[in-house]
Amino acid sequence: MNVKTILLLVFLVSVALLVSLWMGQQAYSWLPIQASAESKLIDDLFSFLVVLGSFIFLGITGTLLYAMLTQRVSRFDISDGPPIEGSVTLEVVWTVIPVLLVMWIAGYSYQVYQQMAVRGPMDVVHMHMGTPSAYAAAADAEPVEEIEVLAKQWAWAFHYPGQNVTTSELHLPVDRRVRLSMTSEDVIHGFYIPAFRLKQDILPKRSIEFEFTPVREGKYRLNNSQFSGTYSAIMQADVLVESPDQYSQWLASAAAGDRVPAYNPAYTEYNTRQEKGIRPGWPTIKPAAPPLVNQG
Amino acid sequence: MTNAPIETLSTAVEALKPELPPGWRRYFSFSTDHKVIGIQYLVTSFVFFLIGGLLSMVMRAELITPESDLLDRSLYNSMFTMHGTIMIFLWIFPSLVGLANYLVPLMIGARDMAFPRLNAAAFWMVPVFGILLMSSYFLPGGTAQAGWWSYPPVSTQNPTGNLITGEVVWILAVAISGVSSIMGAVNFVTTIVRMRAPGMTYFRMPAYVWAVLSAQLIQLAALPALTAGAVMLLFDAVAGTAFFDPERGGNPVLFQHFFWFYSHPAVYVMALPAFGIFSEILPVYARKPLFGYKVVAVSSLLISLVSVLVWVHHMYASGTPGWMRMLFMFSTMLVAVPTGVKVFAWTATVWRGKLRLDTPMLFCLGAIMMFVFAGITGVMLASVPVDIHVNNTYFVVGHFHYIVYGTITMAMFGALYHWFPKITGRMYYEGLGKLHFILAFVGTNLCFLPMHLAGLHGMVRRVSSYDPEFAFSNVLASLGGFLLGMSTLPFILNMVGAWVQGKQAPDNPWRAIGLEWLVSSPPPVENFEELPVVVSGPYGYGKSEPLVSNEAALKPH
Amino acid sequence: MDSSITSDQSAQPVLAIANNPHGHENHGSEEHDHAGNSMFGFIVFLLSESVIFLSFFAGYAMIKLTTPDWLPPGVEGLDVNAPTINTIVLVSSSFVIYFAERALKQNKLIQFRLLWLLTMGMGTYFLVGQAIEWSELQFGLTSGVYGGLFYLLTGFHGLHVLIGILLQGVMLGRSLIPNNYAGGHVGVDETSLFWHFVDVIWIVLFCLIYLWQ
Repeated sequence: MNVKTILLLVFLVSVALLVSLWMGQQAYSWLPIQASAESKLIDDLFSFLVVLGSFIFLGITGTLLYAMLTQRVSRFDISDGPPIEGSVTLEVVWTVIPVLLVMWIAGYSYQVYQQMAVRGPMDVVHMHMGTPSAYAAAADAEPVEEIEVLAKQWAWAFHYPGQNVTTSELHLPVDRRVRLSMTSEDVIHGFYIPAFRLKQDILPKRSIEFEFTPVREGKYRLNNSQFSGTYSAIMQADVLVESPDQYSQWLASAAAGDRVPAYNPAYTEYNTRQEKGIRPGWPTIKPAAPPLVNQG
Repeated sequence: MTNAPIETLSTAVEALKPELPPGWRRYFSFSTDHKVIGIQYLVTSFVFFLIGGLLSMVMRAELITPESDLLDRSLYNSMFTMHGTIMIFLWIFPSLVGLANYLVPLMIGARDMAFPRLNAAAFWMVPVFGILLMSSYFLPGGTAQAGWWSYPPVSTQNPTGNLITGEVVWILAVAISGVSSIMGAVNFVTTIVRMRAPGMTYFRMPAYVWAVLSAQLIQLAALPALTAGAVMLLFDAVAGTAFFDPERGGNPVLFQHFFWFYSHPAVYVMALPAFGIFSEILPVYARKPLFGYKVVAVSSLLISLVSVLVWVHHMYASGTPGWMRMLFMFSTMLVAVPTGVKVFAWTATVWRGKLRLDTPMLFCLGAIMMFVFAGITGVMLASVPVDIHVNNTYFVVGHFHYIVYGTITMAMFGALYHWFPKITGRMYYEGLGKLHFILAFVGTNLCFLPMHLAGLHGMVRRVSSYDPEFAFSNVLASLGGFLLGMSTLPFILNMVGAWVQGKQAPDNPWRAIGLEWLVSSPPPVENFEELPVVVSGPYGYGKSEPLVSNEAALKPH
Repeated sequence: MDSSITSDQSAQPVLAIANNPHGHENHGSEEHDHAGNSMFGFIVFLLSESVIFLSFFAGYAMIKLTTPDWLPPGVEGLDVNAPTINTIVLVSSSFVIYFAERALKQNKLIQFRLLWLLTMGMGTYFLVGQAIEWSELQFGLTSGVYGGLFYLLTGFHGLHVLIGILLQGVMLGRSLIPNNYAGGHVGVDETSLFWHFVDVIWIVLFCLIYLWQ
């Protein structure tokens, strides 16, 4: 390899690196707003993976495209290419480097996961046996807002045990750790708030605990990430992160209000469909009654 | 003989001719010829590909607007369930098995598979369970509607109360598919291990045969776990047992373990033959040996091995304990290494070769580029923190469609074009082939790339309606999907037209090196007049070593 | 579409192909060890089949270790005595079938058939014993997850025992055909191997369900 080729390679690698770094920056815009403390960690990890991935992608597709553009021969050239069958050096290099890369990625991911776990475990801890939460001892003195989540086909209900308030909208205080205790009445549902980057399947007849810290006031969306039947797609809820004052105000007024059935899109759609003379689809499980929620 | 009049002589000879139905009827019979069976698999699976594709067109039509305004939700849920099930069990698996059925005996210098009648029986199960599955549309409760994963408890919910539900039919169809697959796997492994031609050691087998062997070994080792899970699910659905019913002591996550213990390795069963196709086609159109053939061959087996140790990465959000998530994250990342080695090998094969960008080569190169992209998103998905965010979103849908369409289906198209002359004795139309490639390549990227963005923004999968913020990605995806649908037309035109009236193909139109290219196009029933005696390794491009010592004796006269 | 295979060949290959679709008689230099292939394939199949049982075992263990409701109400456990006798009978039948195979190899056909029949008898004893045990149990298939697992595992195994006995019956019938073993006895070997497989599975099952309570 002569000097010119080496310089050219260095130039190309640098360009690829710059493009990859740029892509890594762009990656943040492909993600929702960072509304939880965990989301920053995950976004950084994702951006890192985009940089690595872009570099590899540019390298391989660049090589292939270059070959496609410059190495074509005419139909009448019936000669063969050089009989290069392999190279031990290359094989070692391109096995060892990926192993190192993969270990790097796994290590970084592990670190992020550990940090997230400190902020909130996502394991099934409340199994039947009644053993206390494995993270109880590790919990800080930091105050934790405890909320219960009930999922059923096809509605979300949030219960604030302290004030005995039930709602269909999840209100959360900003900058305060939240512990959710989640269960399902019927099938597996998925608790997913994209803005928080957090997801957890909810199993029936089991209680799963889940902690995180919202850091940005605003209105976000809760989606059902584990397909749970006919109206699974519209089993959604709003998540409102409020200042501590607004939050306690809301909680107080909700506690004072009466309980009424919540607006439930699945229930409404089902009833509309039943009323229609012609059945447009197949029989479905009847949605559970909408939860009774405090008007707040 | 000498005293018999001429007419009776010819009728005597006629009467002795084997009972092969003439022309097209052969392909509807219980033929035990692996070449006929291969074609039967390919055509049957393609019909189901069209059906599955039609379902996806309707789905994309629903998703082009945020509201659920085209179909009833139960119908939509049925669509994605049937689309996934049909594409996996009735397109990808049978088409790959069909191609392998056709090629493997030829490539190893055998006259047929080890168990020809078992082979035919395994094929005929495919239309049977295909029709069975489709018949569930006529049930009062409709088809299965719980996704191709069929997770309980949602999959065992039964609004009609009938015994025979779409779900029950689904389970039976998948079970029959499993039996067919195991029969095929036993056949392939026995054939490859015991029926290679004299001189064909393991490290003289084409890389494609290594890939098929590795894939079929996975089937044998992992498919029975799905069978066990499916049997238990069936019992829960019809016999009132409680294996997965949490109300009575069962555990729904156990089903997920059974399901994914098979279904993750299953993706390698699908991908490995596609890798094998790349390894076969690139050397031909680059006129260069496969780079690092032995390493590529062994990496197929390594992938098989590691692939059975990664399944929990589909269950990071299911309530699995932290140590389990970490363990499987490490093993999942590890499987990227032998896969990456293959990609580098293909790149090195192409580098400094003398390229001819015929249709098969275009499909393979395009597929490899899309595979690199999918591999990168795969490593992202392996990372637990990232997966917590994107699991069950359209990010995953985009990732796996880059694999199943962008890599595997494109590889299959490449293979069909490449071996079309050998199989049919005719040349396909190159212009139509290139048109197919361009439409498919653009369509695949337009359809599945925006899905990644939608997923990152939080759009979950298996939904017939979504929040308006995802509309832009979905419009692009739907347009891409329709383009993909249309790209199938030049392909069908090409295949049918060329088979009926294409130019006669020579034995070896691509001047490729391989045992199948040493016999006529199409090959005779017995494949080889005399069995080949192999004297060198595969991919001898650029060297002037003969592949066999008895080339002239392989064909009649 | 396909080029005709016989259009311009002499009559001899035509005869050969007509007799045998793969025309092996015509190609003397090839040897196809069909029996060897058959046995190899059968072993591969059995290895795969064992994974179904391994999966059931894993499922059984996982549920037993993690479920809150294991035994159905009113059920204390399983009686081990009768199943132990059944186990001894079934495992012994593996030895009997081994001796039967040996007799066949030594061409002692009568001895072979008698020992074979004895094996079938012992297998039937096992199945009958299992059926009696089933009928006396206090719980059913739908009695919680335990009932489901117990009947599924023992039933699936019992089905394999039944298939084993039926295969043995077929082999016994075939043994009456004169000169049946001229080309070898791979059918007998495979049926015998299947029986050993069924036995090993039972030993594991027995330990799992009856001993580990």
